[in-house]
Amino acid sequence: MKRDIIQRWFFEQRPEIVWEFLTDPELIAQWLMKNNFKPIVGHKFNFYSKPKIKFGFDGIVYCEVLEVQPYKKLAYSWKGGPGNGKITLDSIVTWTLTTKKNGTELQLEHTGFKGIKNYFAYLAMNKGWGSQIRNRLETLLLNNMKEIKK
Amino acid sequence: MTDPFLAIADPSRRQMLNLLSKESLTINSLAENFDISRPAVSKHVKVLYNAGFIDIKNIGREHYCILKQDGFDELQEWIDYFDNFWGSKLKKLEALLNNKLK
Repeated sequence: MKRDIIQRWFFEQRPEIVWEFLTDPELIAQWLMKNNFKPIVGHKFNFYSKPKIKFGFDGIVYCEVLEVQPYKKLAYSWKGGPGNGKITLDSIVTWTLTTKKNGTELQLEHTGFKGIKNYFAYLAMNKGWGSQIRNRLETLLLNNMKEIKK
Repeated sequence: MTDPFLAIADPSRRQMLNLLSKESLTINSLAENFDISRPAVSKHVKVLYNAGFIDIKNIGREHYCILKQDGFDELQEWIDYFDNFWGSKLKKLEALLNNKLK
């Protein structure tokens, strides 16, 4: 079972085409969620989906575009909560496109879960933790350490 | 049950978990580490308890706070949830792109 959220996918299309599917709101809606995205740094937008009560999620993801490097990199914040403007999930989604011989490698990183990051840094420093907990979260921790270094 | 993300969003509560990861402490000795009122400390302890991060054991007249795994399990559930979420979405994207090739 995976502990982190980094996924790498290979597509047979050129980065320009994959990029379109990451940045055109109509195309994004076809595979991800309805949205009002614009590839402009600072643009605030939402994704709309079904509420997930169990996870305290009202169905709206609140985002802001953080980085746009055409055909190469796209990052936005990804926040959500139970409604009434309360935010309990504060994270960042980063897409990285790499040109390959026969297509494009697309990497997704969903990281920076606020609170969690600091929290796992504590885990790393502490010898008091049971090895069971440590092992279970090790990959996630490494993932977060990587992000701290950036 | 309190949302574990909300529970660890507060720096004092993270600091409390950090202290408790070294040793189990009474609420009083936990409170000594903070410049906040004893009732405020109790409130934080309650949030951590409700989120499943700690257990409270009564030994003699003292209430000891002890780390517990449930809160961590729920965090893990979140991570797994998003991993599956992206996996299925990207599969959709792949199908869309392949459709385009034809």
